[in-house]
Amino acid sequence: MLVLVLGDLHIPHRCNSVPGRFKKLLVPGKIQHILCTGNLCTKESFDYLKTLASDVHVVRGDFDENLNYPEQKVVTVGQFRIGLCHGHQVVPWGDIESLAMVQRQLDVDILISGHTHKFQAMEHEGKFFLNPGSATGSYNPLDSNVIPSFVILDIQQSTVVSYIYKLIDEEVKVERIEYRKS
Amino acid sequence: MPTTPQLSPQEEQEKLLEEALNVVKTQAFQMKRCLDKGRLMDGLKHASTMLGELRTSLLSPKSYYECYMAISDELRHLEMYLVDEFQKGRKVADLYELVQYAGNIVPRLYLLITVGTVYIKSNELSRKDILKDLVEMCRGVQHPLRGLFLRNYLLQCTKNVLPDAVEDQSTESSGGESGTVMDSVDFIQLNFAEMNKLWVRMQHQGHSRDRERRENERRELRILVGTNLVRLSQLECIDIEKFKQSVLPGVLEQVVNCKDAIAQEYLMECVIQVFPDDFHLQSLSSFLRACAELHPNVNVKNIIIALIDRLASFAQNEEGSGIPSEIQLFDIFSQQISQVIQNRPDMPPEDIVSLQVALINLALKCYPDKVDYVDKVLETTEDIFNRLNLDHVEHGSPVSKELMRLMKIPVDTYNNILTVLELQHFGPLFEYFDYKGRQLMSCHIINNALENETMIPAQENVDAILNIVNCMVQDQNDQPEEPDDPEDFAEEQGLMGRFIHLLQSEDPNQQFLILNTARKHFGAGGDKRIKFTLPPIVFAAYRLAIRYKQLSDEDENWEKKCQKIFQFCHQTIGALIKAEQAEIPLRLFLQGSLVAGQIGFENSETVAYEFLSQAFSIYEDEISDSKAQLAAITLIIGTLEQMSCFGEENQQPLFTQCALAASKLLKKPDQCRGVSVSSHLFWSGFSQATDGEFHDGKRVSDCLKKGVKIANQCMDSSVQVQLFVEVLNHYIFFFEKGCEQISVQVLNQIISKIRELLPNLESNEETEQINKHFKNTLEHLQLKLDNAESAEQYAGLVL
Amino acid sequence: MVPSSTKSVVFHKLPVGVSVGGPCKMSFFGFGQSADVNIVLDGQENRRTAEIKTEDGKREKYYLYFDGETVSGSVNIALKKKGSKLEHQGIKIEFIGQIELYYDRGNHHEFTSLVKELVRPGELTHDVSLNFEFSQVEKPYESYTGANVRLRYFLRVTIVKRLSDVVKEQDIVVHTLSQYPELNSSIKMEVGIEDCLHIEFEYNKSKYHLKDVIVGKIYFLLVRIKIKHMELQVIKRETTGTGPNTFNENETIAKYEIMDGAPVRGESIPIRLFLSGYELTPTMKDINKKFSVRYYLNLVLVDEEERRYFKQQEITIFRRADKVRKNYQAALSHHNPSLLSDGGGSGKSQYQNTEEENSKEKDGEAVNNDEGGKGVI
Repeated sequence: MLVLVLGDLHIPHRCNSVPGRFKKLLVPGKIQHILCTGNLCTKESFDYLKTLASDVHVVRGDFDENLNYPEQKVVTVGQFRIGLCHGHQVVPWGDIESLAMVQRQLDVDILISGHTHKFQAMEHEGKFFLNPGSATGSYNPLDSNVIPSFVILDIQQSTVVSYIYKLIDEEVKVERIEYRKS
Repeated sequence: MPTTPQLSPQEEQEKLLEEALNVVKTQAFQMKRCLDKGRLMDGLKHASTMLGELRTSLLSPKSYYECYMAISDELRHLEMYLVDEFQKGRKVADLYELVQYAGNIVPRLYLLITVGTVYIKSNELSRKDILKDLVEMCRGVQHPLRGLFLRNYLLQCTKNVLPDAVEDQSTESSGGESGTVMDSVDFIQLNFAEMNKLWVRMQHQGHSRDRERRENERRELRILVGTNLVRLSQLECIDIEKFKQSVLPGVLEQVVNCKDAIAQEYLMECVIQVFPDDFHLQSLSSFLRACAELHPNVNVKNIIIALIDRLASFAQNEEGSGIPSEIQLFDIFSQQISQVIQNRPDMPPEDIVSLQVALINLALKCYPDKVDYVDKVLETTEDIFNRLNLDHVEHGSPVSKELMRLMKIPVDTYNNILTVLELQHFGPLFEYFDYKGRQLMSCHIINNALENETMIPAQENVDAILNIVNCMVQDQNDQPEEPDDPEDFAEEQGLMGRFIHLLQSEDPNQQFLILNTARKHFGAGGDKRIKFTLPPIVFAAYRLAIRYKQLSDEDENWEKKCQKIFQFCHQTIGALIKAEQAEIPLRLFLQGSLVAGQIGFENSETVAYEFLSQAFSIYEDEISDSKAQLAAITLIIGTLEQMSCFGEENQQPLFTQCALAASKLLKKPDQCRGVSVSSHLFWSGFSQATDGEFHDGKRVSDCLKKGVKIANQCMDSSVQVQLFVEVLNHYIFFFEKGCEQISVQVLNQIISKIRELLPNLESNEETEQINKHFKNTLEHLQLKLDNAESAEQYAGLVL
Repeated sequence: MVPSSTKSVVFHKLPVGVSVGGPCKMSFFGFGQSADVNIVLDGQENRRTAEIKTEDGKREKYYLYFDGETVSGSVNIALKKKGSKLEHQGIKIEFIGQIELYYDRGNHHEFTSLVKELVRPGELTHDVSLNFEFSQVEKPYESYTGANVRLRYFLRVTIVKRLSDVVKEQDIVVHTLSQYPELNSSIKMEVGIEDCLHIEFEYNKSKYHLKDVIVGKIYFLLVRIKIKHMELQVIKRETTGTGPNTFNENETIAKYEIMDGAPVRGESIPIRLFLSGYELTPTMKDINKKFSVRYYLNLVLVDEEERRYFKQQEITIFRRADKVRKNYQAALSHHNPSLLSDGGGSGKSQYQNTEEENSKEKDGEAVNNDEGGKGVI
């Protein structure tokens, strides 16, 4: 089961589009679910995700005007409960203990958040915390070196393999991280 | 009296054809039987009777064709028999004369052709003379349908025996002349001319009310005429020179002189299709001159376009060779097309534009580097529009469609808007579209730029392009009163927002000019548009400020420039506020504040403070929805928590203001959560005094206490417990960070409080969630207790 | 007066199979005929034969002679009974050229009559063979069998007897040969109906030999009628009698379609007609003031309403000595007419048409009597 995790596109505020090299990788028919950490900003971006998979979950980012997006959401994929939250509401931003609070509240195995525009994956007290970064690599005032990235989760029973796609110097690099549910 | 059922014309035809085919079958059978027995004369007699069926005037062209096919199949037997006999040496003397005794001309000529072919194949008599005789004698059939088929039979029979040599290759022994390729040319051209005359003549026969049917019939027969041209093209010894000198002029003369639209249209296209590209290249002028002389009803546009398309793809396919440099392809076409247009005052404007489309295609495919050719086409088109007084090309009209095609071509070919901008006449021509047309074209242009990521590196370019796509930037005089569908409008403006990110120069000073220009254009877009277009400009400006910081070593004025940028942003955001926006300006101010603080230029603290305070003002004045308020204050707190540029005198009022604002939220749960979040300011917020985190345990504790207090006031027991669990988590957070004001006892108190309340809750999904949250929190604590390193800190905790 | 139908005589070679010598043209002998008379011509085994129609249309072959040729041979008389005697008043042989007009059976006009006495009156007691010779006989006319007239040459042996003569006749065929005419201009003419039809036609010659090819062209100057087809006819006209008793018999020898469909102005249509396939005789003019045989080319245009337009031109047919010709050159021959040039001999005349309500072909009546060459229906 493949799950695409991405967010913080910020189109058109900060960026004109998802990088072409990412678009080439993201083709319809391969991905079953999409989990988006927010800041799609426009309907077109949402429509674009819809072309890749019909099951798209989005939470609201600080630049999303769509009031229908929830602040947080829990999605169950296979054996996993996955929490989704943009992260700008979690102070301090990107802090693991703060995020753990959300994880406990949502009672999830995996908590996915964004906002920092920086890919991050870590296991904390047996839970998995994932930040796919910004798919467009759109700029962040706090980080002058943003690398475009997104994540594909391959969920098989009690194992999640994360493939991290990063665009570094116009080339796509892939990393792999495995998480097993305890 | 018995009544015979009335047959429909179609049934009538079927019946007639069936009868004819029956005769053919019977006579063919007899003919073959006689031939088998060696009775040639009787065989010929049956052949002649069979051929008598082709004398009919009753069959439609379709039926006649079927009859003809059946008969020509049978004649092949006769031909094969005769060739065979000749090869065996059994020559029939005077056969060529003998068949000429047939009293009726149609059977006579079919037989003559058959026998003539046999003579040629058997090397009897002079090939050259026979060919000449056959094509001459066929003049006797002046009936169009019968004549066309007869001459087609002539073409079929002679297909493989036409002389195709530069020099006559006959020897003394072979008797007559075998002829040269030029004899074949003469032969085919004469036949072609005669067939074309017959074909054209069909048009003028019968009632005018049958015109449509007649024209359809003619179209069915056109291939018969076209076969002549195919034959010409199959002659291998025709080189470019012969083609230019003899073949083409003859064909064109015939085509032009026949003055028949259907024939001209078909034959000109035939010429284009059957002869090779390099021949066309060398004879362009004469072909195009002929085009100018065609009948007014001929769709000459299609002909020229077909030729251009052919040559254009030839120029591209042929590796390396392309168009010979001595052939001024573009100039020739350009001149001849204008001649054609001049000759045809009634040509519809869309056709004129279609021609220009073809011309521009040609220019782009054959001369990809010559922007001025393309521009020339646009200029010509503009001139034509002027002359025709066309100043408002209505969307959906044929002209509009063609013009759109024309103007999309350079966009789609260059895939570079900057090159398009080099076309001096692109912009002016653009103005001929109506609103809708301009809108569609603008979208197309912008999309093209986005797809190709064409960066616009200079202020003038920005100016130029925004002037062209002006209808997407500003209100237009001719725009419809009904506003666009909001979704479409959002999409269109989103496109413009994305486009702003392409306005990029490597030179930061130029970039600033660019942004100013963009701001000037988009700023005039009205309240509905700027919501989409100004935020990208602000972000681009922030990014530029960061760049100046990065280049601080190279530019001593960078700080002043940053200052200017922030002024620019301040103003720009102000415009959004004036447009009654709140959420976006608030966030933009917060972003600006972050950037200013991050860059740290001379005046950055003031700027950051100003921007934050602006955000606060908006929060206070403009945001009224309680949920939006909580979200906003949370964002402000989150932002402020990240900032390190403030000295104490600026920071304290801000912190206090945040905590205060949080506590003043309307709803208790919001208050509780707001103050809980604000507690983080006092702990991890940056202190310039200590050059580290604030770690003001007292104020953290105060905040959380306030949170507990507010939670206590909450009437909804379920929400209350939820808030307690949340505050507990905040307590744990700071406890673990080492906040001295928070002790194990405090934790125990809250835990027991929750334990006390939980069982009273109604059992439902919500309660279940709270239970889980609480359980997870306790498990976290248990983990800490179990951990040797932290166990000591947690001593006394009651779970 | 019934014209023979010439409907498509394609591929019919002349019928063969008529035995040479044919049944002798003998008078009925009286009962008790006492001798067989047989004429044997000199060199007959090498002599060419020629066919000629009999009065009742059968074809017979006879030995062929030309003008001035000596006719010689022998007359064999065989007695029927051995040992009997044949008493006679003399035996003679005649060479006769005569014209028989069918309507005047009683009067045969002999234009040549030569007599040779073979035996003086006396007795024949045994079979005899008697030589004869008519040296260098003038044979001014060609043998001919027509509709109303016959011209024949024959030898007649007569054994003169008191009661009834024994007569034996033997026909020969005479062909008159002509030199190729020194003057043989083409026939060129522009004809028309005002504002309706205007054509020029040209036949390459005015005189054709029997195996000749007529080559020509029709050039259409103006066409305002819807022509269906055009044909070329060869018409033979046999004239007998004189003054008020003149009979004309017309026969369409050839009917040859040369164009199908309607041409437009400027078209030119080729003509090529081989004569050798048709039964023709040389043109005969005023033969012994008894009859003439003339030939005409009749160009006929038929329009879509079955109206016929025609123009007749007389041509001369002559017989020439056979020569080997290159077949294909004739088979391919074309006429290159100088139609538009105003060549000598080309006249202008009116083409006329009559609306024939009855579109049945009436070739016989279709020919006019006007000697001026203007065709009228």
